[in-house]
Amino acid sequence: MPLSVDERWDLIDRISKQTVEFGAYKHTLKDAIAELTVKPLTGLPVAIAVIYGFWSFFCDFAGTLFTDGFMVKLFDEHWLPWLQSVFPGGLGNPFYALMVDAGHIENGVLVASDNCFEAFGVLTSGLFVVFGVVLWAILAFYLMFALLEDIGYLPRLAVLVDTVLHKIGLHGYAIVPTFLALGCNIPGVTATRTLETRKQRFLMITLLSVFVPCGAQIGIMQDLVPEMMGWIFLTLAIGYLGFGFILNKIVPGKSPEIIMDVPPYRMPVMKNIVSKLWIRTSKFLLVAVPFVLLGCVIVGIMYLPQVGAMDWLATVLGPFLMSWFGVPGETVSPLIAGFLRKDLAVGMLGGLMEQGIMTTFQVFTSVVLLCIYFPCLATFALMIKEEKWKEFIGSIASLVVMVLVYGGLIHVVGIMLGVA
Amino acid sequence: MKILLMGHPNVGKSVFFNRLTGTKVFESNYPGTTVDFTKGWMRLEGEDVELIDVPGAFSLEWKDQAEEVAVKMLEENRDSVVVCVLDASKVERGLYLALEIIERGYPVVVALNMWDVTKDKNIGIDVEKLERILGVPVVATTAISGEGFKELVSKIKETAPVKIEKIIKNAGGGESAAVSG
Repeated sequence: MPLSVDERWDLIDRISKQTVEFGAYKHTLKDAIAELTVKPLTGLPVAIAVIYGFWSFFCDFAGTLFTDGFMVKLFDEHWLPWLQSVFPGGLGNPFYALMVDAGHIENGVLVASDNCFEAFGVLTSGLFVVFGVVLWAILAFYLMFALLEDIGYLPRLAVLVDTVLHKIGLHGYAIVPTFLALGCNIPGVTATRTLETRKQRFLMITLLSVFVPCGAQIGIMQDLVPEMMGWIFLTLAIGYLGFGFILNKIVPGKSPEIIMDVPPYRMPVMKNIVSKLWIRTSKFLLVAVPFVLLGCVIVGIMYLPQVGAMDWLATVLGPFLMSWFGVPGETVSPLIAGFLRKDLAVGMLGGLMEQGIMTTFQVFTSVVLLCIYFPCLATFALMIKEEKWKEFIGSIASLVVMVLVYGGLIHVVGIMLGVA
Repeated sequence: MKILLMGHPNVGKSVFFNRLTGTKVFESNYPGTTVDFTKGWMRLEGEDVELIDVPGAFSLEWKDQAEEVAVKMLEENRDSVVVCVLDASKVERGLYLALEIIERGYPVVVALNMWDVTKDKNIGIDVEKLERILGVPVVATTAISGEGFKELVSKIKETAPVKIEKIIKNAGGGESAAVSG
């Protein structure tokens, strides 16, 4: 016969009295550090320092050291020219365009590309995006993340941001799915299972899929528009908090308080860090590589002059994109690629920037739009699996509204500032 | 026979799983890493036995989806031995879950994990006495270093279901407990 809750605690009390003895507890250095990192006065500066360190490592290790220092040179100066010289077909040939270089029109003449953002072939841009840029960003991100995880810092961060996140119907622990999603949205969405109510999961999944860019995307953005990153993150954070606040008001359901364990700080174990890094990175490559290459092929085909689908879409959707968001019709192609992979899509924006057809503000708006307009296909599929139908439709509906409102708002702000 | 690994979030179930099966699942120093269950195989006295890493649960009266999965796993595998992993520095809380599982009639082995932390915190636990009261094997373990694992594995086949009334009696409070209920 099962016991009642009280009877069970009675029994436990009796057992522990006979078997457990608490000695005098000594305050250790570990405890002192633990307290410093959760008290707001000292904890906030520590949090800022940690995040700043995280970001610097991300930029220096992935961006400066690997991508700019090594991969860009390898791909642009050796790989691309070599392929251009040996691949059969040549400029103007459809298969050559798909695989190596589609080229672009300059003064009415089709000219070859001189970098892998522009070329847009499967073997050039496709491989460059994955192995030249994104892989290093993902590695840097997950290395830092694994360290923070195993030391036990994340729950402390959760305690610190608890008050803020309560305003948007979540609690401090929502920082974990959010942080995970910054690496890849897929584990972020999965991690929402630790949230208690359907309302909280709905809020979290919706906000994640709209306002949290993934590591692959951040890596590419950092490479293309490093000077804008601050503004981009600020815009996304305002959207996350602002729309979270509104959704919390209109979505029915409860947002209970969480009672969470803050684990003790521990020394990370090297073996564990390495194995996590390996599992996460290989999982990432498994999803990313096929999608990026597929995306290259699909967009490449739509671009072919013989097909002309991209020009047609740019003409049809161009006026809407221009009047509502203030971005040129050409952004249609990255937006389409973005359904498959965000990193690829941002890479395509790079190609457009190189051709000089966008103002700085338009680049900014396009990058933000690419972040928010649709979760990538893999995340989208996971949302179908994780959410009940009603919530899924709710997520998509909120997504559409948020993109239109927020994208339009950014345009309006640009007009008022006189930069749009 | 199957073996279920159960316990609170962040008590080291995933480390247990990795040690016992050699398969890799995530270990992180925060609660809730395992939100889905993971299966693996381990050798037990020359026999291949399935081991399931169940998501962390505080109690069988589930409150979040991870706990819901945990309860389902338990109900779907009636023929299992449950290795209940406790944080040794918070025995009382862990015992709540252990007792719930025992009450449901499962054979249980209790692992007092993070044994090293109890020494840091100067907590003394009388393992033998606890074992006598519960009537199921109790083993002190430190999963990260592997301490206590051999003993734990050797106890898996020894354990059997225990009636909760017997535990109440062993704890020395048969009548009063019945009255207070």
